[in-house]
Amino acid sequence: MHIPDGFLSPAICAICFAATAIFWFFGFRKAREALNEQLVPLMGVLTAMFFAAQMMNYPIVGGTTAHLLGGPILGITLGPYAGLISMTVILLIQALFFGDGGITTFGANVWNMGVVGVFVPYIVCLAITRAWRTKEGLLAGAFLGAFFGDVLAAVFAGLELGLSVTFPYSVQIAVTAMATHHSVIGVGEGVVTAAILYALMRSRPDLLQLPKVSPSWLGDLPISDVLASGG
Amino acid sequence: MVVDKKLLYTGLLLSVLFVVIGCVWLAESNETFDVVAEEFGAEEASIWSAPLPDYEVPGLEGNVAVNIIIGVAFTLLTLAAAWGVGAVLRKRS
Repeated sequence: MHIPDGFLSPAICAICFAATAIFWFFGFRKAREALNEQLVPLMGVLTAMFFAAQMMNYPIVGGTTAHLLGGPILGITLGPYAGLISMTVILLIQALFFGDGGITTFGANVWNMGVVGVFVPYIVCLAITRAWRTKEGLLAGAFLGAFFGDVLAAVFAGLELGLSVTFPYSVQIAVTAMATHHSVIGVGEGVVTAAILYALMRSRPDLLQLPKVSPSWLGDLPISDVLASGG
Repeated sequence: MVVDKKLLYTGLLLSVLFVVIGCVWLAESNETFDVVAEEFGAEEASIWSAPLPDYEVPGLEGNVAVNIIIGVAFTLLTLAAAWGVGAVLRKRS
């Protein structure tokens, strides 16, 4: 889903940069307050792991391939603002050194994969876990959050392409094509996200209970309640 | 700063494993997004010449060992960058 240079109109690039910059501003500000000495190494390790994980391209339908984005698990374990910072680091290294994603489209790529791809999973997971405070609720929230996060990120990529004058097709065509293809990838992201979360619940529940770097209007996932539920 | 060495080593081990799998067995990339964009006639117009396009060293394309070294080196760079950003932000608080 990394959009290269040339795919988007300058105006769309500028709007995406501006929208992303708002989240960067609040994200970095909140991270200064909330990052602690346990969360910083975890952020480093998880960012490196998902950079590496993005190198694995697994086959999906129609001869195409997909790779894990990692935004959902970064958002759920670190909090959405720290997840955004992690995804920004990954996308910056990919764009600068590997040409995976453009420079002019960097704001759009961070918006799709670092804002939408991190915040939507966190919000969906938070809503489901608050309503269903069990381990099953957390896993269901992680799966659905990752699925919707991936599909919505693709919808935004389709919108950006469709609205660009450089792209010869309508918004409807671009959005439909992206959402359809990514609904399959979203299932994969959901399964992997829930599996990683399950593994962390079993092996390192302490990591899930670290304070999250999330907006105060959203609040933290009720992980301690979930782990204590025994469900 | 208290470093959880078990977490660090496990994370690094898994990362290296991902790189090796990604370079040896799951290397072929034919992303849905690229296919859709190509079908629709979108054209790339790079403004930046990346030193390692498509995660390969120019002239050594297809060399799995080189790709693994590149993958591991940049995984370590990513670790350092993310940790560094986190540490700087924490220091400023």
